[in-house]
Amino acid sequence: MNKMNKVQYESPSDSDNNWTDSSDDSKYSDSESSVPEWDSDIGEDGELVFIKVKHINESNDINTPLLENCETFKLRSDFKRASTRRSTKGKIFKVLKNRKAKFDNRNDNNKENESNTTDNTKKTTIDDNNKIVIIQVSKNMIFNSEKNCQIEKLFGISLETHTDGKTLIVANFLIEAKAIYVPRVKVGYHLLKINGIEVNSCNINSVLQRVIEDIESPKLTFQVVTDGFNIDPLKLFSLNHVPLENSLTQLLKESMCSVLYICCNDIEYQSNDDKGVLYCYPRPYNQNYLYNTRGAYVTLNHLTPKSLGTSEPVTSSVLYNNTLINIVYAPHFNDLLLLAVPNKNLDLFSAKKIIRDIVRILEFLYGSLKACFTKPNNVDKLDGLFARFFVTLLFNKNNVSMSKQDSKVRSMLLEDILAAHTVTLPLEVKIQVDDAITELEAADYREWTDDVENFQRLYTVIGACLYYSGHLLSSHLCDDDLVEINAYLKFNGILRLSIEKELEKLVMWKEVFIKEHRNQTNNDKNENRIPDGRWFILTVGKGHFLLATLMEAGGCTEDAVGVTSPSPFYVEECESCLELLYEVGLHKYLASWFSSNTLPQLETSPEFLTKYGRKMRDNMALKADTLKVSSLKLSKSQPDLKRPPSTDNPINNYHSTSHHSLYNQWYNSSQKNYRHSSNLDISYSEDSNSLKSNSEVSEERVTGRRADREQRSRRDSSGSDSDWDRQDGSRVSGNIDMTDIRKSLLNELNHVTVHRITAGEENVLFHFLQLESEKGVLIAPMKSIEMQANNILYSFIIRTFRSACKKIHDLLQYSIKFKKNHAPSNPLNKILVAVREYGMLFEAPQDVLNQCGISKKNTEPFLFWVVGRVFSEAEPRELYLCYHESVPQDLTEVAHLLSYLE
Amino acid sequence: MSVIVIAVATESGVPIFTRKRGNNENIQFSTIASLHGINMFSKCHNLSVINTHLENGSILWKEYFKSVTLIGIVTGGLECDLEHLLSNINDAMVFCVGKKELENLKNIDQIKRDLRQCYPILDYLLESLDPNTLPRMTLVLDLIQSFLCSQSQQLQQVLDNYAEKVTGRWACLSIHGHLVATSSDFSELDPREARLLLLAAAQDGAPLRDTLVYLPYMSPDVAFRAVTCKLLADVYVLVVCGATPALSQIDEIVLQCWEGYAQIIKEAKLIHPRNFPLSITFEPCVLGIFIVNITLRRFVFSRHLQLSNQKTRGMSGFHRMDILRTFYVTSARDLAPELNIREILEKDIDNESSIGKMCETYWCSEYHKCHAQRSGNLLCCVLYAPNIPTHTMRLLTSQMLQEFHSNKDIHW
Repeated sequence: MNKMNKVQYESPSDSDNNWTDSSDDSKYSDSESSVPEWDSDIGEDGELVFIKVKHINESNDINTPLLENCETFKLRSDFKRASTRRSTKGKIFKVLKNRKAKFDNRNDNNKENESNTTDNTKKTTIDDNNKIVIIQVSKNMIFNSEKNCQIEKLFGISLETHTDGKTLIVANFLIEAKAIYVPRVKVGYHLLKINGIEVNSCNINSVLQRVIEDIESPKLTFQVVTDGFNIDPLKLFSLNHVPLENSLTQLLKESMCSVLYICCNDIEYQSNDDKGVLYCYPRPYNQNYLYNTRGAYVTLNHLTPKSLGTSEPVTSSVLYNNTLINIVYAPHFNDLLLLAVPNKNLDLFSAKKIIRDIVRILEFLYGSLKACFTKPNNVDKLDGLFARFFVTLLFNKNNVSMSKQDSKVRSMLLEDILAAHTVTLPLEVKIQVDDAITELEAADYREWTDDVENFQRLYTVIGACLYYSGHLLSSHLCDDDLVEINAYLKFNGILRLSIEKELEKLVMWKEVFIKEHRNQTNNDKNENRIPDGRWFILTVGKGHFLLATLMEAGGCTEDAVGVTSPSPFYVEECESCLELLYEVGLHKYLASWFSSNTLPQLETSPEFLTKYGRKMRDNMALKADTLKVSSLKLSKSQPDLKRPPSTDNPINNYHSTSHHSLYNQWYNSSQKNYRHSSNLDISYSEDSNSLKSNSEVSEERVTGRRADREQRSRRDSSGSDSDWDRQDGSRVSGNIDMTDIRKSLLNELNHVTVHRITAGEENVLFHFLQLESEKGVLIAPMKSIEMQANNILYSFIIRTFRSACKKIHDLLQYSIKFKKNHAPSNPLNKILVAVREYGMLFEAPQDVLNQCGISKKNTEPFLFWVVGRVFSEAEPRELYLCYHESVPQDLTEVAHLLSYLE
Repeated sequence: MSVIVIAVATESGVPIFTRKRGNNENIQFSTIASLHGINMFSKCHNLSVINTHLENGSILWKEYFKSVTLIGIVTGGLECDLEHLLSNINDAMVFCVGKKELENLKNIDQIKRDLRQCYPILDYLLESLDPNTLPRMTLVLDLIQSFLCSQSQQLQQVLDNYAEKVTGRWACLSIHGHLVATSSDFSELDPREARLLLLAAAQDGAPLRDTLVYLPYMSPDVAFRAVTCKLLADVYVLVVCGATPALSQIDEIVLQCWEGYAQIIKEAKLIHPRNFPLSITFEPCVLGIFIVNITLRRFVFSRHLQLSNQKTRGMSGFHRMDILRTFYVTSARDLAPELNIREILEKDIDNESSIGKMCETYWCSEYHKCHAQRSGNLLCCVLYAPNIPTHTMRLLTSQMLQEFHSNKDIHW
């Protein structure tokens, strides 16, 4: 927090070199230097990973970004920069000139800044693992040991040796001894010392002998082991530079995740000592089961197409150490990439999807699988990549220190696996976002230089995509690129980082190979072929925003030659794009939008749909009657809370007059009680409501503007002589107006209408998911909804929904595949091909209902549908719906309604 | 589509038999050796390969009695049933030669020869994975094909009487390969054994014959004598008994017991192919029905539901059967988790308690709709015309289920 206060964004300044500096990095802060703070982190190959996280109190950290408290907003809205883009004026030339020089300087202060990403993380990891518990066992106690084992007799515990062969681990307690140890000592702790003497598997017997001879009661020292260790995602990014940490490798080994790349063409790599294995992780080779059994998979990969005449293998399930492991194949000409992940971490369905993502990432980053694994000195980078990948798979925020109970919780949700999770924004907001990105993409630098003729750009911005808290807000990329960039951000853990932490600054720069270029053959003389250039991805993050920009060098821009490090100008461009969004207040808006549950509204208290639940609700409503007034007030004072539906909703009216006459009553049912996600029961009468809300709106807008004006005047008076004000007065003033308008627009949008997409009087929709696999995007409710609902029955329904969706998705793929390819090489089952819709009706078990307060007496079963349907007009689109059984739904109709919301 | 099943002696690697169906070439010995080698090699590394999925098929390894490894390869068919197929094939092998022989594998050549007699049964089983043909005997691999007739109670008394006379224990009557009536303690047999007996009875051969059979679950080591007798065309009576009485005596007993019941059998025979008593009627929009008695592991399928002899519209009867079978195998079977045999895989995948219990499921396509509902131990899969709304399907299916529970003409 302190740091944030210090961060000062001055008003557009007089100097050319106004970098947005944080004050604690004083050496960069003054205007003389044009070196950005990330400059020293640039790797030898020009790549850059620079991450700085805002440090908020731990307690705050638990809150998801979506539910941030207001204080943080206030602080952040103190940033004052009317027009962020102007500050770079003229600098572009300097940058161009300086590029070469800077590159040489860089290595000097390399070491110093390295710690930037790492130092703050070490403390947390050590803490837990070094705790020690000392237990004194009375000499008088003798335990009954069935195995007649000395340790059991003396201490009542049984031990086993760690995989390292030395360390002793507590394996079990005898029943009589439990009272002594539990709960301070747990199974899995290491036995460090007995009477102060360090013990291991070699000396334990002699130490025990001494204990027997000793008259004193023995003292046992245990080391606390928190199952696994805390993994800090930040640390993983620094793995690019540091050799892999042993404990992490050990952890991954134990988790039985593995990846292997084999070149099956022996002649090509005869010099290779590892019999064609070009890459294997985690190492050492001989401890990697995937490496040891690779012969089986290579044989299968050869055998199936050649001798059996079937297609190549996709997955193999194997049993190893009583763990079911899924191995996925990704053949590349004669080579084979294998990935193995235990089924409890990643089921077969997800594994099949994820291997495609891995191939995408590797091809995106290196051009081809072969290039990736044969590139010299690439092993450390790949290790880092796969370490991040596995950590992303294995751990999620809630079980960072993988405890055994939690390991059932899969960290990858269905939404993450299928595609980029997109948020439907109201049109006005969408325009704002798109506008900001377009401005970046246009890279209209006439504002910075008058010498347009003689100046060539470094890069063309091909497109960009913007994420907020892991959800895609907008993408201006072509579908193929988006899919790859999304995979890259997802499995590098960058998206997760932006969800879990508030970023102060994130800059990443990497050369990439876009699909269009990869697939383009050299002798293709097509007029519209893309230039033989180079492509780079620049990822910039701030707060919970992430902006990934794809840039092209070559063609109409300058050719990039040799090692290409990020250009400060473009980084600043991207940063200012995010600044712009901050300025508009989008971060505030999104935080409330994400928690608003409006587009469309979900029913997050499913028990109220039962007969008993309705009674329950009515009772609650009666009790809450007195509280109502105050709750109303509350909602007024918090502009972030969404407003009740207004009656003049154009969308609703449109529907009710057209083909939805059947459902007139529910479309126009604004007199009804709308229950808010915040569990405030507010009833509105139609007339008073519209009046009231209107007046509120106008009032707020005034204050918003007034505040804004005041701010501006304050700013003007302080930085009176800022050059942008004078120089391009006319243009700027127009711009100010724009931001002003933007702001007020967003304020207004706090009053969102609540939409429903299901038929019936009550809202029966629990969850939905609309997947456009070709585009690589899906629309679904925000991931925070489930946590917000905080309802056992609802969580249960969502869990069932996700698992059922996988089954439905698999079946619908037949139809999609068939439509795509009318004469497929592998004939498909002609019955499955015809299935367009697949539904399952589930019953919630009684114990879940009981926990929700629905007692046994009222045993009317709670039934809900999970239905999936594929629409194949133009591009295949899949819609999955989860709703209460009481009202039958037509998926085609729901799909239409949903598409109007977009 | 193609199905290949290979049996290999686990230790020696000697191929025992290969059965195939579909448009695939004969499998080479080297291929068999490689497939087996994959399994053996990975075992050396304490890792067992369970299955491999191909783009449109799968390969499954399964070891039985630590001596015989079955390898199944299926593409383009109902690959999800491969596990059922292998376990059925193993049962059939035990049925023929007994468990002891398979465990010891002392004289492989002899066993190979002995197993040849069960090839017809194996081929029947392979058929059920092929979506392009109409299986003669096995529509689905985990259930016994049967039909419902009002005469079955009467026939049961006759069967009891007949079993007693031949000092046998279990007897049943099959018409057109469907189980129609059983003796009262027939349910002691494992349904899988009962099915093998039916399959054996349906084989061509002498009108009255006996075969030695090992019951894979009840007595895998001691052989019984299964006596099949043809009563009328496509009507067989089957009894499992001891070494006596001799066939010639049984011939007389059959005549004694069954002479008076030819008329009843003929009446029962008329139920086929509708397979339901006439007292049960169906809505015209119902194009086919597949009803399962879960506890008895029996199913009744019908696609000739309308009494009037009008020409059925559009879809061929064969296609209907195919749709309902595919629907049952891929989706509706989930309604009865007790029918699931995947032990290893299921343990690690979602434990069932964490997700809801499924009680209905449906498919919609442009040409038809399928709906399945479970009520008690009855699971009903119905094929509807495509113009029936989903909620109407639900209503009709539950009405039918009620009828099946209450109708007095139905005796499972």
